[in-house]
Parts: sequence; C-alpha cells; structure tokens
Amino acid sequence: MGRLLKLREAHKTDAPATCSVLWAHDGSHLATSCASDTEVLIHDLSAPPPGRSGSTAGSSPVVLRHHKEGVTAIALGPMAGPLASGSFDHSVKLYNFPVGSFQGNVTRFTLPIKSLAFNKSGSLLAAAGDDDGIKLISTIDLTISRVLKGHRGPVTGLSFDPKHDYLASIDSFGTVIYWELSTGKQLHTLKSIAPNYNSDSSVLNTLSWRPDGEMLAVPGLRNDVVMYDRDTGEKLFNLRGDHEKSVCSFCWSPNGKYLATSGLDKQVLIWDVDLKQDIERQKFEERICGLSWKPVGNSLAVIDVVGRFGIWDNPVPVSMKSPTEGVVLNEPHPLFEDEDEEEVLGKGISCYSGSLDDSIEKGSGDFSPISRKRVKKRGPSFDEGEEVLQEIDSRKRRKESENKREDGEIRERAVRMQDAFQVGFTPPQQGKRRFLCYNLLGCVTSLENDGFSHVEVDFHDTGRGPRVPSMTDYFGFTMAALNEKGCVLANPCKGEKNMSTLMYRPFGSWANNSEWSMRFELEEVKVVALGKNWVAAVTSHNFLRIFTESGLQMHILSVNGPVVAAAGSGDLLAVVTHASDCLSSGDQVLEIKVFNINEATQTISGRLPLTPCSHLTWLGFSEDGRLGSFDSKGNLRVYSDQFGGSWLPVFSADKARKSEDENYWIVGFNATKLFCIVCKSPESYPSVMPKPVLTILEFSSPLASSDLGADEVENEFMMTNLQLSEIRKKIKDMEAFGLDVTALDDEAFSLEVKLDRCILKLIASCCHSDRLVRATELARLLSTQKSLKGAITIVTASKLPILQEKFSTILEERMLDDLKTPEPIPTGRSNGKTAYSVQPPVRLSPMMEKSPDLNNRTPNTIKPQIKPSPATETLKLVKARYSTPENLAQGEDISKERELGSKLEKVATFVKGKGNATSEVTGKDVSSSATGNVKPELKIPINPFARVKKAT
Amino acid sequence: MAGQTDHSLSIFSAAEVEFIAEDEMIEIVPNIRMDALNLLCGDFGPFLPQIPCTVPLWLAVALKKRGKCSIRTPDWMSVEKLTQVLEAERESPREFQPLPFHYVEISRLLLDHAHDDIPEVYMVRSLIEDIRNVRFHKVESGLETISGRTHAVKLKNLSAMEVNVVRPFMARVLQAFYKHDSPEMVQQADTSASKRPQVVDRGPRVSLSCVTC
Repeated sequence: MGRLLKLREAHKTDAPATCSVLWAHDGSHLATSCASDTEVLIHDLSAPPPGRSGSTAGSSPVVLRHHKEGVTAIALGPMAGPLASGSFDHSVKLYNFPVGSFQGNVTRFTLPIKSLAFNKSGSLLAAAGDDDGIKLISTIDLTISRVLKGHRGPVTGLSFDPKHDYLASIDSFGTVIYWELSTGKQLHTLKSIAPNYNSDSSVLNTLSWRPDGEMLAVPGLRNDVVMYDRDTGEKLFNLRGDHEKSVCSFCWSPNGKYLATSGLDKQVLIWDVDLKQDIERQKFEERICGLSWKPVGNSLAVIDVVGRFGIWDNPVPVSMKSPTEGVVLNEPHPLFEDEDEEEVLGKGISCYSGSLDDSIEKGSGDFSPISRKRVKKRGPSFDEGEEVLQEIDSRKRRKESENKREDGEIRERAVRMQDAFQVGFTPPQQGKRRFLCYNLLGCVTSLENDGFSHVEVDFHDTGRGPRVPSMTDYFGFTMAALNEKGCVLANPCKGEKNMSTLMYRPFGSWANNSEWSMRFELEEVKVVALGKNWVAAVTSHNFLRIFTESGLQMHILSVNGPVVAAAGSGDLLAVVTHASDCLSSGDQVLEIKVFNINEATQTISGRLPLTPCSHLTWLGFSEDGRLGSFDSKGNLRVYSDQFGGSWLPVFSADKARKSEDENYWIVGFNATKLFCIVCKSPESYPSVMPKPVLTILEFSSPLASSDLGADEVENEFMMTNLQLSEIRKKIKDMEAFGLDVTALDDEAFSLEVKLDRCILKLIASCCHSDRLVRATELARLLSTQKSLKGAITIVTASKLPILQEKFSTILEERMLDDLKTPEPIPTGRSNGKTAYSVQPPVRLSPMMEKSPDLNNRTPNTIKPQIKPSPATETLKLVKARYSTPENLAQGEDISKERELGSKLEKVATFVKGKGNATSEVTGKDVSSSATGNVKPELKIPINPFARVKKAT
Repeated sequence: MAGQTDHSLSIFSAAEVEFIAEDEMIEIVPNIRMDALNLLCGDFGPFLPQIPCTVPLWLAVALKKRGKCSIRTPDWMSVEKLTQVLEAERESPREFQPLPFHYVEISRLLLDHAHDDIPEVYMVRSLIEDIRNVRFHKVESGLETISGRTHAVKLKNLSAMEVNVVRPFMARVLQAFYKHDSPEMVQQADTSASKRPQVVDRGPRVSLSCVTC
C-alpha cells in the first residue's frame, strides 16, 4: 500500500553511506548529513522555493562546511538547541541552529566518531565511535564529564533515557549496555542481541528509548525490533512482521505510540507499538538509513544511503491517532500547544499532501500508476482506511498472538519456574514437520494438517530398526519417547472434550492389537519416558505412573513437585522436578531422582545443578547408562559416583563454539563425546527437513588456565581419570555379582596406558616449565613401571638430576611393594585390581624376579626372558587392541614396542594364570605381532582394485 | 582440436582417470551402524547412523549403492559456488578457476550414483557441464596460440580429465616444434629414441603418444 515517495538529492555520494536526518523541534527546518560528504545541510521548509512545486525543502539550504571528512552523525539539542556533528575527521563540532553559525569544536577523538546524542535537557552530549569509550560532554562549558568504557567494538548508537537516569549504547557487535548516568557504571550488558555488523561498516546499529522512557528499542536478530525493559533490561516484546531483512534504523513518534522502522530490505514500516503490528509501509529504491518524525504533525523525514531525502506525509493513516497526540512538551509552544490536534492535522494534510497530489498530476516519473490509484483511492473516506486496518488486523492477529506467546515464554524463563518439556522435542512451527522426540536411535516427527497430525517414526539405522508405518493422530500428540521396542505418545488436554491420552505402540509383537492407550480425566500428562519393558508418564497431579509394556498399570508414585523432564534407559528412569520456586537470582531449583523400575529402588536422589540463570534443556542417559544433563547455557554435566555421587561439568558450549552464531542442540553423549546438532543462530533447534546431521564434540573440563601451557593434555588427563574411575567402579560392581570382567578389564588397562601417556606428556611439560614438585607428584600417579622408566628417561633428557633421583626412588619403592604383594598383575597400583587377589597366585613375571639395576637406565637390560609358545585367543584380542600406534611423549626415547611388549607380557602372565595354560611369549614376538594390522573385516565386496592400490 | 583428440592416444582412458579419482575423500552420512573398516589404504569408520565420516569416494559409492549412506555434496558442488565459478570462468578467458583436480570425475560419479543427495541436481549437472565446456573451449583456444617459438605451455588449475585429453596432443606438438626448430636435435632425438625402446607393457598407444623423449 505504498506510494512511491519522491526523494530529493541533498548530498552527493559515490557509494552508499550512512546519512542522517533531523527535524527542528518546531518542524520548520531539517538538518541532513552524509558520511561521504563533509557538509551538513540545514533545509528551511517554511519558505517554499519559487518555481518548484512539490519540493520539500527550501531553495538554498544552509551549508555548514567545517568538517574535513564525511559527517557520520548529527544530533540536535532540545528547543532550538545547538546542532552537533561528528565526523570521520575525529572531531565533534557545535553549531547554532537553525542559523548554522559555527559555535566551536567540542572534542577530538583519536578515531572516527560514529554516534552522538543529546540528553533531554540538552546539558549533556554523548559522543562515541571507534574509540574506546563513550565521552559525556557537558554542553555548558564543553568539558568532558565522564568517559564510559565497556564496549569492545565501535559504538554506533547512543540514546539518553528521557528520564535522565540511564544512557543506552550499542556497538557494532550488537551488544547493548545500559549505563547509570549518576555513577557511570554498567547496569546491564546485553550481549549479541542485535545483528553483528562488525564486518560491514555501512550499517550502523542503533537504539532508541521510547519518549516516555519505559522501554528501549533495539534491532533484533530476526528482522524485528525488540523492546527491552527500562530498569531490568529484560526483553519485553518484539515487533516482527514484514521486514525481510534486519532492521537498520528506526525512530519513535513523538508520543511513543508509533515506531517507524527501516530495514535492509529497503522498506520503511510504521508500527503501532501498542498493537504490535505494522500499519503502513513504503518501499524505496535505496535503503533508508535515517528517519525522523516531525515533532509536530504527521510527517516522517527519511534519507537514504545515497544522500537523498524526502518527507513522507501522513505515514500514520489519518483515521488513527496522530503520532504527536499526547506529547508533553517541555516548553509550551505558542503555536500548537493550545490548538486542537485535529486542526493541526488537517492543516498538515492540506498543505503537504496537496503538494504531493500536484506533482502527481504533473506526471512526475517517480510515481508508478498503481501508486497513483492508491493515493486517489485512499484519499477521501475514512471508512476505507478503517477497512484496510481491519484487514491488517485479521492478517496480523495470528502473528501477534505468536509473538505474545513467545514473549511470555521468555519472561517465564527469566523469572518463573520452567515448564515441563519432553527431551528431544522441537517447538511446533506452522505447516512444518517437527520433532516430538529425537534421540540417538531415531526420531518421532509430526506434521499437523487440517486438525489432525501425521506421526512418523524413523530410525537412523535403517538396517536394524524396524519399519514403522506412519500413523494418523487424532489426539494431537505433542510428547513422545522412542526406544528399540516401541514408542510412547501423549497429548496434553485441550479443553474438556479432548482429554489427555497416553498411547504406546510396540514395533514388533507376537500378538495383534498390542497397541494400547490410557486416558486421564482431569489430569494431564506432562512428560513421558520409556525403558526396558516399562512406560512412565508424569502427570499434572505430580503422579509418576508406570505401566508395563503391555499396558498393565504397575506403580503410581508421587513425585516431589511439578515435573520438568524425565528420561528412561534400560531399567533406569530419571525424573527432574521443581524443588521450590526460583531463587531471586533467577536460578531454577530442581531436584532429580533416579529409579530402578524393575527392582523398585531409588538409586540417585538430590538437587540437579545448573549454571546460574539457566534452565534445563536436556536430560538423558548415555549408552553405558551414565546420566547427564544439559542446560540452556550449554553446559553438560555427567553424574559420577565420585565424592559420594556428584555432577561433573564435562562440556561447555562457550568453549567449544567455533563461531558466535552456533547453537548446540544436544542429542546424546557417550564416555568421551557429545553428540549434537549444530544450529546456526537464530535457530536454536533443528528442522526435520533436511535431515539433521549429528556433530561429535569432545568433552572438555572447565579447567583454569594453568602455567603449564598444556591445557589439552591436562584436559585429557582429567577425562581419562574420570573414565577410568567409571570403569573401575563398573568392574567392582560386576565382580560383586561374580560376572566376567575380562572385557572391561582390557578396557581399563588400555585406559591406564592412555593415562600414563598423558601423565608422561604432563611430566615433560612440567620439566619444561620447571615445576619439579608437580612432576614428582605426576610420576607417583603412573601406573606401570615401564612408564615410570619412561619418565626417568624424560627427566634425564631434560637434565634434571634431582628429579631423576626422585623418580628412581619411586620406582624402587614400587618394585619393593610388588615383591611384597605377589599379584597376578604386577601393576603398582592396587585400586581396582584387588579383584584379582581371588585368582590363584602365579609365578612372578621374570621381569619382577630380576631386580633391575636402577642406575642403569637403558631398559635393554631388563629384557624379559620368556620362551615362545602359541598365544591364546585372549592374547590375540589384546594384541589387536594394542595394534594402534602409540604416540609417546616428546623427548621419550624408550622404544614403544618394548613398552608394549612388557605390558602384553604382563597380560600374558595374567592369562596364563587364569587359564592354567603354559603360554609364554617373548617380548620380541609380541612386539612384532603387535605392529601388525588387525585383519580387515570387510562385510561388503567392494572395488577389488581399490583395496590394493594404496598401501599404508 | 583438443576436444577431438582421440582418446586412444591418451595415456589413461577416461575410466582409468575415474579410477584414480575414486581415491579422493568425501564425507558420507551413514545410516547403518558398522565397525571401522581396516583397509590397506587406511582405516575408515566406525560408522554410526547420522554421524558424518570421511571415506574414499569408491567406498562412499559402494555404500551408497547398497543404500547404507547418503553422500554429503562437497562445498564446491553447490549451485552457488558453481555459479560463481562459471561466471569467473567466463570472465577471465586466460585463467582457469581453482576446482578440485578431479572435479569432472567426482561430479560425474556423484551425479550418477548419488543424485538424490545433491540439492538442485539438474542445476548442478548443467552448471558442471557448462563449466566443463567453457574450460575445454579455453584449452582449445589456448592451443591455437601455440607457435613455433613455444617451448612450454603453462596451464594452472587444469583438472585431471582435461590434462588427460590434451596431454598427448600438446606434448607431441611441442616436441614437433622443437624438433623442426633445431635440426641437430632431430638426429639426436632419433638416435636416443632408437637406443631406448619405449615401455612396452603400456600398449601400443603409449608408443604412439611418445615419439621422442
């Protein structure tokens, strides 16, 4: 519905540059500037130029040529106050307005100025730009009253709070800071809430307080304008609509009821802020980079990036309230104060739109025929305008309600207890398929279509998972859980007719009709979970209902509070509930309980830790049954039995993030890695099509930065330690049941080797940075004697005789200990290995029998002397495990084969002791076989040439 | 000229060049769970559903044929990138845009076997064809400029298939020019040619393509 507005050239530019436009307080003059022009122009609108009709400005604008380079910002003091201009030439100058006489230089910066702002009384001028810091300058004596430092990038927008409490500033990274004017402190720092234009200097971020000071408008990331609360800095709502690209500039109407926004999509929209909808729009040839409402009357001045400006009359339809209605002027204005608003408006229309029509009649080329019709059609009656408005209303209502909902959510998150959520779901999107559940196994998706939905179940592993026919869903399921055997679906109650239903679909059953469903009267299912032979649902009555696979109601438990999430795996069910209302800091108070359903026991109970001011976004078990939680700040915590059961932070998205706009949507984790879907901001969750691809991220502990400079190794050390403790615990558990732990023990052993390698690297870096005590401590942690010898070699190489002696003492102690306690596996540490004391004692490995010469550090002398014999099956397996090349620490020169050999020899001894076999192996034999590759197990016949054409 | 070069004169046939290109690595997203493959050319995997991993093209195609994975289209094979390349190719008549050395073969293999994984497959196909034609045309027009004084031709960013097509012709032309330029070289070359017989196991086309060394 836009007519094309005729723009007048004011500034000559070669390339698009940021231009600004300002109205004088009485609407008689207009000041314009352009970043590629050194001049500031003051156009007199009151004197119509001779011979030119329809023109919006006077014949000869006052030209202010005081800057040496382009003028980047202008600001106008209140009530015919001074005009300030800032420029690329680093200076800020003041002029009398509207006369245009030069008053003086205000300040100089070391870098270009990007933004200027006067406070409401005109006593302070804020200036900022590429310099580090915003300068607050007193306009009375032109002294700098304060410098506000805090922005990391160029400050591109400044706005004084009309109540004179705060100053808001925005930089090109999109960070907004609220400053308290009385103290100069940062009140709120809102990071990355606006688009990042750091790489694109042609667009400047801007922000503006509503004239009543109650809210701050900031361009949002989603082509919208977001309003932030005056005091708390919280997001209030957003204006989202027909902008196809980011909003780059906006201006509040004098009464704060309307907002004019211009976007990179070359549109200017007028919003009714109370209704949160756009009421008028206009398309331009170029991007509009400056907007200014006429302080009196219904006009909007616009200027585009090529320095052409124009005045848009009646941007707010005349049927609506005037943009100036209800403005409280500081100083009573003789002309308009007492006059009726209607009259003013009427005058404005007659004067300005009259001239517009004139130019149409004269057939100016700028007007397209359609727009001419529109103008004519719109002109006469108010009813038509009303109609159009209604149309807009109905069109926008849905969007508006969406916005409201979204805002509600955001508010709730900030201050209220978080809602229950289903793990692995994505919020509904209009007309798009969405995930009800996504896990490492597969996904349940749903697409709403004419009142009912189509639910589909897909497994990632198409080879193994059953094929599940899609299902028409008349209930409107919003929750689902999926495992290998079946899926459970549930819907919340929608009014009285549609009560909450829980449905279970087994994927394979020997009987027909094994699908079942349960209905809940006056109760609503909040979350569902699925495990081995059981289905769990937590309801609004705080009941935890457990059903068997066939639909038998087994248990009903009461949980402690409103449920947040639940996850099931195997026999275990984890339920997170609220323990109390949120803390005043905004922290959620959550409690977790883990039940073993089949044994009817409770294994874990306690508080669920979260990052401050975050909420839970994911909860689940890893494949090996470890419990983990993920919060909105991107931290993964894993439950560990260490320290009597605690949560260990093992991953932080902030550290792992490669670029600012990545969001991690977690799907699962295993012992060392996190599986997630990387979503590009602003999306925070994946869409069903195209099929999302999982990304693997390594765990990393939130380590303090240490003086060693070996963060990666330290991290590996922590993680391996954690893994090892997990495995040892598992071995202990299994031992208690008398189960076979060989496989686990192999795993523990390989982890020990990995840990030793890690420790050796750490010792090396300790030696480099002269941390001898720490090195000794690390040496004590080494689990095998071979590694200890390796450590001795390292310190010898780095010429540290003190350490060498220390280490030798440790080694000696170790050996003595080993001699005292004859165990099948002569590793120095006994923790976790105590299990083997039940094994029949075997003869010590020859290495132990032969007391090595400690002063002789060449390990050649300790070569084991064992006779060759066929290796057992287990040994083969062990060989395979160690066939991967091992990277030893730098500076370590003992041969890795030898180390491997000795390790294997120990295993060999163990195997021998266990199986009573007389298998003995020489170190040499093992080492040679250990380097060989594992036989390839190729299941598919593939290009026969390819397999041989490249040798390793 | 070069476009019409008899393929039997090339050192490698197109199929052979394609075979070599099959060693290029490509990312796949398996939809099966499979242990790591320990092959002579390296270890690949383990394969986990929906988790991308990098494998040689031949393996990717083999898995794709069995419906065990989807192939992720390389970056350069997006419509956007190809359009850029095509424009740049057209704009600079003397230069070749950097594309993967085996772009012809890789795109051919992917278009043949994994057309359902390529977004906007028809567009991609026609773009690649266009790029190929433009580049071949450039090679041909470049060949026209070879004169008696030319002793070497420098062609940057030429791909395997393009080189393969023009190599025999180009080499022979340059040799011929060289020979005719210096009569004493002719005799020397002749004698050396007679002294050193060509490698015979390559087949007759090799001896045809290498007149002198």
